[in-house]
Amino acid sequence: MPEPESDIIDQVVSQDYKYGFSTNIEMEMASIGLSEETVRYISKKKNEPDWMLEWRLKAYKHWLKLDEPKWQNFEYPKINYQEIYFYAAPKEKIKLDSLDQVDPELLKTFEKLGISLLEQKRLTGVAVDAVFDSVSIATTFKDQLREKGVIFCSISEALKEHPELVKKYIGSVVPQTDNYFAALNSAVFSDGSFVYIPKGVRCPMELSTYFRINAEKTGQFERTLIIADEGSYVSYLEGCTAPMRDENQLHAAVVELVAHEKAEIKYSTVQNWYPGDKEGKGGIFNFVTKRGLCEGAFAKISWTQVETGSAITWKYPSCILKGDHSVGEFFSVAVTNNCQVADTGTKMIHLGKNTKSRIVSKGISAGKSHNTYRGLVKVNKKAIGARNHTQCDSMLIGDRSGAHTFPYIEIGNKSAQVEHEASTSKIGEDQIFYCNQRGIGTEAAIGLIVNGFCREVLNQLPMEFAVEAQKLLAVSLEGSVG
Amino acid sequence: MLAEIINSNFNRYASGAEKDLFFETRKQAFEAFETMGFPTQKNEEWKYTNIKGVTAGSFEMSDERPAHAKTIFEKSVLNEIKANQLIFVNGIFYPDLSILLEKDKSIVLTNLANARTEYSELFNRHFSKYAKTEEHSLNALNTALLNDGAFIYVPEGVKPEYPVIINHYIDSTHINVLVQPRNLMVIDKGAEITLIETYESIGFNASYTNVVSEIYVAENAHLEHYKVQQQAGESYHTNFTQMFQESNTSINQVTLTLDGKLVRNNLHFYMNGKNCNSLLYGLYIIEKQNTVDNHTRVDHAQPNCFSDEKYKGILKDQSTAIFNGKIIVHLDAQKTNAYQRNQNVLLSDEAVVNTKPQLEIFADDVKCTHGATIGQLDEEPMFYLRSRGIPENEARKMLLNAFADEIAERIKIPELVELLEKKIEEKL
Repeated sequence: MPEPESDIIDQVVSQDYKYGFSTNIEMEMASIGLSEETVRYISKKKNEPDWMLEWRLKAYKHWLKLDEPKWQNFEYPKINYQEIYFYAAPKEKIKLDSLDQVDPELLKTFEKLGISLLEQKRLTGVAVDAVFDSVSIATTFKDQLREKGVIFCSISEALKEHPELVKKYIGSVVPQTDNYFAALNSAVFSDGSFVYIPKGVRCPMELSTYFRINAEKTGQFERTLIIADEGSYVSYLEGCTAPMRDENQLHAAVVELVAHEKAEIKYSTVQNWYPGDKEGKGGIFNFVTKRGLCEGAFAKISWTQVETGSAITWKYPSCILKGDHSVGEFFSVAVTNNCQVADTGTKMIHLGKNTKSRIVSKGISAGKSHNTYRGLVKVNKKAIGARNHTQCDSMLIGDRSGAHTFPYIEIGNKSAQVEHEASTSKIGEDQIFYCNQRGIGTEAAIGLIVNGFCREVLNQLPMEFAVEAQKLLAVSLEGSVG
Repeated sequence: MLAEIINSNFNRYASGAEKDLFFETRKQAFEAFETMGFPTQKNEEWKYTNIKGVTAGSFEMSDERPAHAKTIFEKSVLNEIKANQLIFVNGIFYPDLSILLEKDKSIVLTNLANARTEYSELFNRHFSKYAKTEEHSLNALNTALLNDGAFIYVPEGVKPEYPVIINHYIDSTHINVLVQPRNLMVIDKGAEITLIETYESIGFNASYTNVVSEIYVAENAHLEHYKVQQQAGESYHTNFTQMFQESNTSINQVTLTLDGKLVRNNLHFYMNGKNCNSLLYGLYIIEKQNTVDNHTRVDHAQPNCFSDEKYKGILKDQSTAIFNGKIIVHLDAQKTNAYQRNQNVLLSDEAVVNTKPQLEIFADDVKCTHGATIGQLDEEPMFYLRSRGIPENEARKMLLNAFADEIAERIKIPELVELLEKKIEEKL
């Protein structure tokens, strides 16, 4: 006998977060709260040039003028910015030549997460810039990258070694004044990754950063900047897991991508931060600003995301298609369970001629969670021959879950061809029945169905990541969803 | 400024002379309007529509009874339909021009002012119960300053022989006119009726028409509802129609927007009972610098209901079309099927479309889809026709007619289809 559906749902809903643990490493912290002093402290701590401090202060001053946005489709407790530590760095300053010099505690943490650097180094050929809280502590495969002229380092390092590049591009896609959380990030960002691919270079390996939120009460403010010069290609992976935590933690990252003529950037994310417990207590607030600029003709930016964690996921990875014939893509799977909320989607801004964009979004909501797709497709008056296709599908598991769609389509000229399709439905009873009939249990059947439902997006992920993504999907909906 | 005109008009009601039992309702609504004010583009619901033309304009409410009302009516195409006709000019009822064909005298076809006294029980039970004034400032404005409008009551099980046409003529021959018609229709259990609401303009001055229609459909009743807007020139028109459905009811609604400087339609359906069936179709053909904004909202508050929505638009010149369709499936409204589609054809490089088909779903056993397309006419059928020797203009007309046909075929009154075809011919 297959299990009754209600049992399955119970099981899904009662799944615990598997990656919850905390590492005890001494932390160096800025004093609690946010003020001009905090901004200066962070900048000083990181030995930044004066212009960088000015840039941060400008952002901070602008942030003070802004109000928190209210248009979102969910509510969250008011964040007290005076109760957050804005900077935390592991106390031991490590200069790394090899992995042996890494704090063994840290290595253990990575091992528990299944992303052991040793393992990675030996098997996968993925260069990992591991961010443990805020300071990058290990970078691998640097030599190989250096040979090709690829710069892959932390932002702080880039500020020291390639200040001209950072100065030129930082804030060029997401200005300090862009929105409330971007302004906050610009003022207090602690670290992040910097990638520069020179002209005509195809990055020899997939670049990857694993983020971890670790110190209690530490807001995480990452800043990522990726520049692909003419005719280059890079695939970048970002993945996250976070330990059990009782209080809401704010994560307001900013990611900026710049693709020059004929360059291509593929940016993949697997996000599995602590989603809070069954009653919705705790969990990460993931308020991220991600935007890519197709600067030159024939440039391409592709976002792929698998969002399974966080109490609230609130982000819209976007593409500004400025160059003629440029292409933007967005592939997304968002799974919410218990009391989680996801308000995510994308913006495709068509400015150049013959620009194309494609959006595929899959939302799955279970338990009491709410999943919102919110997207904008804007075709400028001069964007002759623009083309967009959007597909967003939602699946509902359990009668207390919700699925919402808010697509904005703004078309300014007649040559544009824009299509939007969306559907919402319950997980197919006839499909489950079909599987049952052939001896496949309900649990496995739901797994199959959800896998099929998301396939289009999962296929976009690089091999190494696809495995992780499937694992995380399993953790989020285990018991009913494989 | 319109705000001052509104104030002075309200004060007229407040100053004893016109003070009646109804005044309390007006007062409450006026206060609600005062707090909300006219909608601005900061309001998400009005993000793409600017009503500066209305708020900065100078309009007057008119009590004048134009002598030429009769000739106007006789010229109207809809006059040819064999139907009960209620005639309003600038919101004032013309019983002498109105035509009542129904033999069954239990059917009430009158004006709202009359219904307030003569059918006070029905009036009090239904008036201002469905169209919410709290969130919609223009509803509040209408309630505060409403002139008059149609009142229709179809008793239990009655099926009128002829359709009912509510003709609203907006006469701006002499002045910029402000009209606030208010219609209330009550379709009792098991009754069936066809209603046509039309808005036509006379004269070349500007006009602002702010309509609210409330329609209550009781158990097992059926309603065919058509709204035809053909106010030309400097006509601003905002319209709020609220349908309130009890169980086992069905509604077939078609909105045709054929002219107007700015037309904003709010069409809301609330399904208060099970097994409701609601069809919403719309067609807009816009030219010059005109704007048409269709906001629809279908509230699936009960299980086992069905709704299907399709809005199509053809845009010429520098026109702007806005579409926002909301489907809201409430908690426990299981077995809901809801569909929504918006399709636009752009004939000019300067036309603009902003569309936002929106789903908000709080129940799991549902099937909902929505879609939107925007583009030019397909090249392939065009090529097919041209390769058979049909001139480009002719071919385009054929294709646009075919595009509009999907909505036209939902109209069950041949005269109305004729009118539509004539309009399409004129415009293209």
